Amino acid sequence: MIAPRHAHRSTLTTVVLLLPALIGFLGLFCYPMLLTVVLSFRPEGQTVGWTLENYTRFLADPDGRWVILLTFILSLGSTALSVLLSVPLALILREKVSGHRFYRLMVIVPLVIPGLIGALGLLLFWGPRGWFNLFLLQFVPFVQRPVAVNYTIHGLIMFYVWLYFPYTCVTTMSALESLDRSIEEAGAVAGATRWQVLRYIVLPLITPGILAGSVLTFMAAFGAFSVPLIAGGNYRPLAVEIYKQISIPIPAHWSAASAIAMIMGVLQVGFLALYMRFVRRGGITGGAQ
Amino acid sequence: MMLLRAYLRGLREGRFILGYTLLLSLTLFILAPFMMIVLRSVGKGWFGRLWLPPQLTLDWYRWAVEVGNIPEVMKNTLIIGAIAVILSTVIGIFAGWAFGRRRLPGKEVLMAVILLPRMIPPITYALGVAKIFYTLELVDTHLGVALAHVSVCAPYAILVLSATFEGLDERVLEAAGVCGANVLKRFVYVVLPLIMPGILASMLFSFTHSYNEFTLTLLTYGPHTVTLPVRTYLAVGDGYWEITSAMAVIMVVPSLLILAIIQRRAKPEKLVGGFKGV
Repeated sequence: MIAPRHAHRSTLTTVVLLLPALIGFLGLFCYPMLLTVVLSFRPEGQTVGWTLENYTRFLADPDGRWVILLTFILSLGSTALSVLLSVPLALILREKVSGHRFYRLMVIVPLVIPGLIGALGLLLFWGPRGWFNLFLLQFVPFVQRPVAVNYTIHGLIMFYVWLYFPYTCVTTMSALESLDRSIEEAGAVAGATRWQVLRYIVLPLITPGILAGSVLTFMAAFGAFSVPLIAGGNYRPLAVEIYKQISIPIPAHWSAASAIAMIMGVLQVGFLALYMRFVRRGGITGGAQ
Repeated sequence: MMLLRAYLRGLREGRFILGYTLLLSLTLFILAPFMMIVLRSVGKGWFGRLWLPPQLTLDWYRWAVEVGNIPEVMKNTLIIGAIAVILSTVIGIFAGWAFGRRRLPGKEVLMAVILLPRMIPPITYALGVAKIFYTLELVDTHLGVALAHVSVCAPYAILVLSATFEGLDERVLEAAGVCGANVLKRFVYVVLPLIMPGILASMLFSFTHSYNEFTLTLLTYGPHTVTLPVRTYLAVGDGYWEITSAMAVIMVVPSLLILAIIQRRAKPEKLVGGFKGV
């Protein structure tokens, strides 16, 4: 039996401990979110009245719908490529190949580097005067002029992969590392080839890890702002579109920006919810131990 | 069996060649952009189809420091980073202790709620933050920008620190108590050394996030609180690639230091947010 008085004091202490976090959470997240919601329903530039016009204008506009589609193309494309890159990489780095520490370091480099720097370097490297095009022009026959990579959709997807694949890769590697080798050995003893072991034992077991990592990559890519801002050219995903609304027109279109931000938030949360359901289901059938 | 083993070895060696190709292209893919930045920042008269700059110069760094006002910008970045780190570590220690050591009804739900700022694109609440800061006149103050950063850093701090506190073994504390240590002594000599790595890791991650934070800074900065990412962005807009590259090199040095520390001391999983299995 816990003395009620003591229990009461203990609860109080817990609340006090949580207080700074709650104040920060309410002041820096909840209230701003609420303000964005309210602003999105206000007529542009006014503090009273309610309207749905900010939403309908953006959603009815073909450009607006293209922005949404583009955001999904970029984020889903880069997520898929990240998975394709990360799984073989994690499988190789699991064998302690010589210099594996260095390669592991390479994997987390994009995580600690400011996104802008990464984008700048990528623009320089893949640009018409960068090493990529120099290589093509000098060593690959039939290439007469620089290949356009910067400011194209495929280029942008590749930039996203550079920046956000570590999320998938690190999670996949840690899932692989926590995998018990004896299970695979059991599979091999039972007569499975290496490929069969990989396909029917290893991959299903690390699928939850891969999916968890890909969720992180997807979220980062969906909300990406700095990279498409400087490397997107004419391709403006949702985050950049929001910023354009408050940075280009004078006075700033706060309500329009808030409405797009709400659409973005709802799309991301909705997509994540769907994805999680899919992952849970896939996790149960595929990851049964 | 022998034959099978030889066959597998052959297969593995074949895979090794493939594997090394992949690893090398990865290294090139990751590092080449940095090489380009470094070369561009020291190159002079690098036009046309040249692999390397014909002349070397440090002029662009001089320009970056004089025109780009890098020392001032660096000072802003560090002040803002320090405030953000202190605030989020304090929040993280308190909340982490509550999450890690205390019975909390609905702990998972509460944790998910606290992590919500990481699930939603920053720009959605950055708009509201900017709007509030404009009315509170917090825009273009170090405290204001740092507060905006806290909304990104604090969830990380809470996550890392609650894991640290959870790992604290009750029996060690009891042993210290049995040996006659009072609460203060127990805290200073037993608890503190045990949680220090966690606190340092949390500070490190918070600083990295504050240092790299762009979205929230761009919406709350002003002429007096230009940070390095914003400065680089403005320089990109100006179109002087050489000076921008020089700034980028200056900016990337602290990141590389942090990278070295992380590689030695901490697990990279923590950097991606510590979500293990959804």
